[in-house]
Order: sequence, then C-alpha cells, then structure tokens
Amino acid sequence: MDNRKLKRLFASARGETAPAPPEDFAADVLRAVRHEPPLAAPGTISIFDQLNLWFPRLALAASAVIVLCVAADYGLTAAGVPSLSDGVSQLSSQWLLTPTGL
Amino acid sequence: MSDDAELLERIRNGATDDFAELIRRHQSRVFAILHRYERDAHKVEDLAQEAFLKAWRALGQFDGRAPFEHWLSSITTRVALDHLRKEKRRQNEIGLPELGDDALDWLRSGDEQSELDARSAAELLELAMRELSPTDRVVITMQELEGRSVKEIAAATGASGVAVRVRAMRARSKLKRALEKLAGHQPSGAKMEK
Repeated sequence: MDNRKLKRLFASARGETAPAPPEDFAADVLRAVRHEPPLAAPGTISIFDQLNLWFPRLALAASAVIVLCVAADYGLTAAGVPSLSDGVSQLSSQWLLTPTGL
Repeated sequence: MSDDAELLERIRNGATDDFAELIRRHQSRVFAILHRYERDAHKVEDLAQEAFLKAWRALGQFDGRAPFEHWLSSITTRVALDHLRKEKRRQNEIGLPELGDDALDWLRSGDEQSELDARSAAELLELAMRELSPTDRVVITMQELEGRSVKEIAAATGASGVAVRVRAMRARSKLKRALEKLAGHQPSGAKMEK
C-alpha cells in the first residue's frame, strides 16, 4: 500500500454522504433538554460566589482596622495619653467600681 | 433570521425552545462528524443527541470567541472519541462487517487509475481503522477526511501540535499495514486477525 493509493482511498471516502438527521431530531433533543436543570442566567451569581468575591477585600479591611487601632494605641501612649487598657481600668475604678457607682 | 450569537443570548435568557433552532442549524454537521466514526445510523443519532445535550450543559462556558459551530464540533469529536474508547473495549465481542468484493478487488489491484465508490472506501477505512487507537483514529479522520488543520485537531483532542503530527504519521503507517493485511484476506466475511 503506497501513499498515493491511501490518498485515493481517503479522497473516495470523503465523498460519502452522512445519514440525514430524522425530521423530529431537534424536538427529541429539546424534550431531553427539558429534563435538565435550567441554565444559570448570565450575571446571576450565588451567595457563595459573592462571598468568594468579597472575602479578600473584607480580610484586607479587617487587617487595616486592626493595624490602625494598634498604631493609635502606641501613638497615644507615646504622647502621654493613657493607653486604651489604662483608660479602661481608670474608668472602671473611678466610675464603675466605686461605692456610689453602678 | 438571527445569527447564532443572538440565538444563544435568547437561550441563556430562558428561551429554551430556541435551542431547537440551533440544533436544526447544526445537526447535519454533527451527524456528518459522527458518521465518520460510527456507521450504524441509530447509534449516530444517539451520539448526536449526547453531543447536543453536552453542548446544552456547557452553554455557560461558551465565550463566543470562536464560532459556535467550531465549539460544537469539538464537543462532537470528544463524544466520538469517548464512543471509540468504549467500542475498543468491546471490539473482541462484536463481529466485523463483511467487506464487499469490490473493495477487496480494489485493494489488491495494482491499477493506479481504478476508483472505489465512496461507500466501499468508507467501509474499507472503517475496518482498517479498528487497528488504530481511538485517539490516532480521531487524528487521522480529522486530518484526512474532514480536512482540519493541526491546530484544530490539537484543540479538539487536547494534544499538542507536535503530538498531533506524530500521531498522524504513526496512524498512517498503521493504517497502511492494516490495509495490506486486509488485502491478504478472503473476499467473503472479511475479518481481521488480532
């Protein structure tokens, strides 16, 4: 079997016509499609997708707030203003835990 | 009449019935592709239905960068490949079709000018291609019978361009050997020895 003969065989086979689809083929497929779950409409995303989308931004925002608080605490302590924990204990001893307090 | 993109947009927005129009537009091509791999008309119909159902399920992934027809052809080729793999496993259980005298005469003939009719040629190739692996068969069919480019074959089979070229070369050699083997068989009830 040489290449030319193989090429002629392919050329002849290319001329074969495929069977025509049955008349009601599209309707049959459509019936099967109706048993499938509906397609997700474009643009609609689930709550999980939304959380996934937002998670990196929420995590960054939370980190920024924590850093800001710690920096403010150090800054205020350095400026001589009582730190947050000192302020809370001062408040509780002066106002909350006195005999006339709560 | 609206083009495929408009039709797809409507389908995605809930107009399921419009999918029938999309099927009618492309069913001939899907049947033609599948007929290259399966000669039983009923099986071709089942496979075509499977291809359209797979396309329906994956419609959300179609980004419209390539024409819908190309995307659907790739899905159809993958359905054919899966089918060939299943058939390959059952190959020893089913009898090979009888090959007509004309096909064997042509195969044995040294006449360079003699022509073989399309149906006999397709049957002869079908029989010889059973010697190939499913992927090799898809590669050689796409290249020689469908006239697809290496790039298209690579996209449909998930192989690299180099792998497609190597497979095509190997498939052609195997096919020649299979045809030579067939030529040595008796005219009636041709069956290939494994």
